Amino acid sequence: MRRSPRSPGSCSPYSSERTKERGIHILKRLSFLVFLLTFLAAGCAHRSSPVSPLPQLVKVVSNSEQIPLKSPEVSVTSGNESADRKENPGNGEEGEEEEIATITDPLESFNRAMFRFNDKLYFWVLKPVAQGYKKVVPEAPRVGVKNFFSNLKFPIRFVSSLLQADFSGAATEFGRFAVNTIWGVGGLLDPASSKQLNIPKNEADLGQTLGVYGLGQGFYIVWPILGPYSARDSIGIAGDYYLYPVSYITPWYDRLAVSAYEGVNDTSLRIGDYEFIKEAAIDPYVALRDAYSQYRQKKVEERRGQPVPPKPGGVR
Amino acid sequence: MERHFIGLSILMFFLSTLPGYAGAPLDTVQTNVNKVLDVARDPKLKGESAKRIKKEKLEAIYEQMFDGVELSMRTLGKNWIKINPAQQQEFIQLYRQILEKAYIDKILSYTNEKIVFSKENMLSNNQAEIQTNVITSSKEIPIFYKVILKDGIWKVYDVVVENVSLVQNYRSQFNSILAKNTPDQLLEILRKKVKG
Repeated sequence: MRRSPRSPGSCSPYSSERTKERGIHILKRLSFLVFLLTFLAAGCAHRSSPVSPLPQLVKVVSNSEQIPLKSPEVSVTSGNESADRKENPGNGEEGEEEEIATITDPLESFNRAMFRFNDKLYFWVLKPVAQGYKKVVPEAPRVGVKNFFSNLKFPIRFVSSLLQADFSGAATEFGRFAVNTIWGVGGLLDPASSKQLNIPKNEADLGQTLGVYGLGQGFYIVWPILGPYSARDSIGIAGDYYLYPVSYITPWYDRLAVSAYEGVNDTSLRIGDYEFIKEAAIDPYVALRDAYSQYRQKKVEERRGQPVPPKPGGVR
Repeated sequence: MERHFIGLSILMFFLSTLPGYAGAPLDTVQTNVNKVLDVARDPKLKGESAKRIKKEKLEAIYEQMFDGVELSMRTLGKNWIKINPAQQQEFIQLYRQILEKAYIDKILSYTNEKIVFSKENMLSNNQAEIQTNVITSSKEIPIFYKVILKDGIWKVYDVVVENVSLVQNYRSQFNSILAKNTPDQLLEILRKKVKG
């Protein structure tokens, strides 16, 4: 710590001003400390930020994990498995389901390691912190905080909609932003989604935009802290970062504190989701990889105006 | 208005005369989901002691609601025909147990959630997709049911949660396991999962 201890006498009468300043400094340092503590917890912070429009279920993935597989045979999955998965679509028997998203995974051993790391991060740090926070803060304000951050991500959705030439979507987002900022107390409430107005959120991001332009997902990569991404979406989040106002907070440790807080708040609203996925899966690593890939793929298909395949196939 | 009504009646008439058409798929799913919710919310069945009764009831509903064979075939995909009939039978049972085990507690925790049945998409003349939304205090989760008409009854063969297909998700896992293991080893893994 950079704190320079003052002699006790220095708090002389001439400076109530100075005391105040010091108070502020201490506060800042405190927030820095808090940040340090929550830094590891930041997993979700970024993850859930602009950056990842993953659904609740999948989002949790950020803190992904992998169960140490009980049977040794299973843990040795390798790169050619993804090739194998690819053939799958060719197998006509099962009708429409077969041809949805698969993602190649050449970095599997690295990814599995990161997956384990993120899992521990979730169970050892993020979850306990979020649980403590949940005990102290009731659900309503936590939803408010979530709305607030979501409202702040307006530029990402707005710009992405424009880049996708989805002008009505952009207009909708603009309307939502205006309504929620003005009547929703700076975004804490979400009156735009109320029954009366019913302006649906237009989830859009840059990774999706690249997909709409025709860029494939590329390979799968699990980033430490950030969680699962495709190569394409990794480029997307880098862009999203610059469209998220929180990224411009200075100094950097305040920015991180804010992100960490956002992550903890988000996590507090979905404790249990990740545990559930893990519990239901036979191989959680593969389950999450597939869920991520399916989810992102459909996000792009929706945008291309190909509502997920009502293909007449599969008549048996 | 009246004309619409007549038109609708005629349409309904034709629909009802279609062979094997057993009521709208949406209705079937909705009825089953409501049964599930009734069990989950039954005020008489509270506490740990009632949990077993609840589970038994849910298992009975599952039998009516899902098509276990269809579900298993689609999940294994090309691997389905590579395993022998006995293995297929065992797989169907184990897969059902795994799903039940994973989902029953989740379902039983559904108490205040609201479920909106929004849309029915016919995928073909014997397949449909029912779109629903589960609304909780903090979020909305789209859940789609895919149903197939078999012997006059619409049965669920896939559930798509937030755009993620359950069948495909398990298929990717099973494929990954079968790429390195024999079907027998896969079954052994599933047996362990059911017990564990």
